[in-house]
Order: sequence, then structure tokens, then C-alpha cells
Amino acid sequence: MEETPRQTYTEQQKNEVFNNEFLPLVHAMYNFAYRLTLDRDDAKDLVQDTYMKAFRFIESFQTGTNAKAWLFRILKNSFINDYRKKSKEPNKVDYQEVETYYNSEDVNRQITADLRVESLKDMIGDEISNALNSLEVDFRTVIILCDLEGFKYEEMAKILDIPIGTVRSRLHRARQLLKEKLSEYAREMGYKNT
Amino acid sequence: MSEQINPFVQEDGKKPSCMQMLQIILDEQSTEAQQEYFKAHMDRCMPCFKTYNLDATIKELLKSRCCGGEAPQDLIEGIKQRIDQQRPQ
Repeated sequence: MEETPRQTYTEQQKNEVFNNEFLPLVHAMYNFAYRLTLDRDDAKDLVQDTYMKAFRFIESFQTGTNAKAWLFRILKNSFINDYRKKSKEPNKVDYQEVETYYNSEDVNRQITADLRVESLKDMIGDEISNALNSLEVDFRTVIILCDLEGFKYEEMAKILDIPIGTVRSRLHRARQLLKEKLSEYAREMGYKNT
Repeated sequence: MSEQINPFVQEDGKKPSCMQMLQIILDEQSTEAQQEYFKAHMDRCMPCFKTYNLDATIKELLKSRCCGGEAPQDLIEGIKQRIDQQRPQ
């Protein structure tokens, strides 16, 4: 996110920004934190840390700009710095490959997934949620930001500090992986997908 | 039918793939002209039609099943308390 000039707020203005713009987003923030950490306690700590940082750096926030994107970016950075290091999950994803594939000619070949709308509609339990949680965290993140929270590609690029082209290719790959997982579930439920 | 101008063609003249068009439509980041074009395109392209319906269903399900939960009350109270401690008395 580009540096905005530092704002000068009075104590009362700080309180207003914090209470009126930041705090109402706590539910979305908690959901994001939980989807990243997959642990309720870690999610609480992560959200709390994020709000402390947001208060400390409140003068970098410009009123009238997108508070949600600003807070989500702080949360994402805290997650990477404080939690990801601890986790044993190695980064196995070759993003260059993801991007090359997205921009290649044969990208349409895989367009038909072996998954049907009818079998999805019968997934009334936690299948969707579990499928999302099973994705590698960088893929999970783009789906959360786009499909759950409705951020635009440009906002996602700023939150994640990656180019828009990378947002698109990563999102495409994430959706493919999600569909593969859902097909697995559908097969387990006894659906023939073809 | 006369050749319709493809509103998805980028500045560098590169024609996007079906999948790339579909993504822009699905994520509601398209212009009106692009929506019109894609609607007509789906009539002729079965894979796009099927994939669009599937992807739209998944997107809806994700939204309805994976968000909307509330943050725990003790978290909210905790944040407020810690912020109060940081404020000048």
C-alpha cells in the first residue's frame, strides 16, 4: 500500500476512528484470523495484536479510505511475521509455475471440472469449510479475500503486496484446488461426477 | 452475424482466454459491455456455461457457509480494555 502522509488526530478523533471505523470490523477480522490460523485462540491473539498495532499506527490511516483493507493488511502481515514462522507448513508452492500456466494457451483445457452443481447443493455439512481450510494458506487467503470478503483484485493486491496479475493467477489456481477437493468429497458421498 | 468487438481485449491486443473472462465476470469486476459479451459467448460455449454455473454456486456457498460468525465477546472486551490502558489519562 502506498505511504499516505501522516495524519494528525486529536485524542478524541483517534477514539472516533477506532470505535467507529475499526471496531465494527472485528467480526470479519476474527473470521479472517481464524481461517488463517485454524485455531480459535491463535485467532483471538492475532486480532488483538492487530488492533493494538492499528491503534499505535492510527496516524498512518487516512479517514475516508478503506479501513477494512488497511486492517486486513496489518493482520496479514502480523500473521506472516508471528505465526507463519512457528508453523511447520513448508512453502511448497511454485508460484512462477502458477502464473506461467495462467497465461499460457492451454489454460482452457482444464476448464471443465468433474464436479456437478447438484452434488454441491447436497453438501450441507462442513464440506465447503473443510475444503477451504485444507488449501495451502496462500491459496486459502485469496479465496477468503475475494469470495468471503468481496475485495476487488486491486484491493487484494495492496493487502497482499503482490501484483494484480499474481492475484488473478493465484485465485484461479486456488479455485481449481478447491474444486478438486470438493470433487473428492462428492465421490465419497457416492456421486459419480462424470 | 458481424464480428462483435471483444471488450475483454487488453491494451496490448492480447485476447483473454475463456477462463480469464469467466473470472472477471464471476468476481463482478467487469464492465457492462463485458457482461453483455460474455452472456452471448456462453450461448455458444458449453464449457463456459457449465463452469460459470459451477463457480458461481461455489462462490455463493463459500459466502453463506464460511463467514458471518461473530467474534467472541471476551475478545472485543479485551481489545477495548487494552486500548483504554494505552490512552493518556
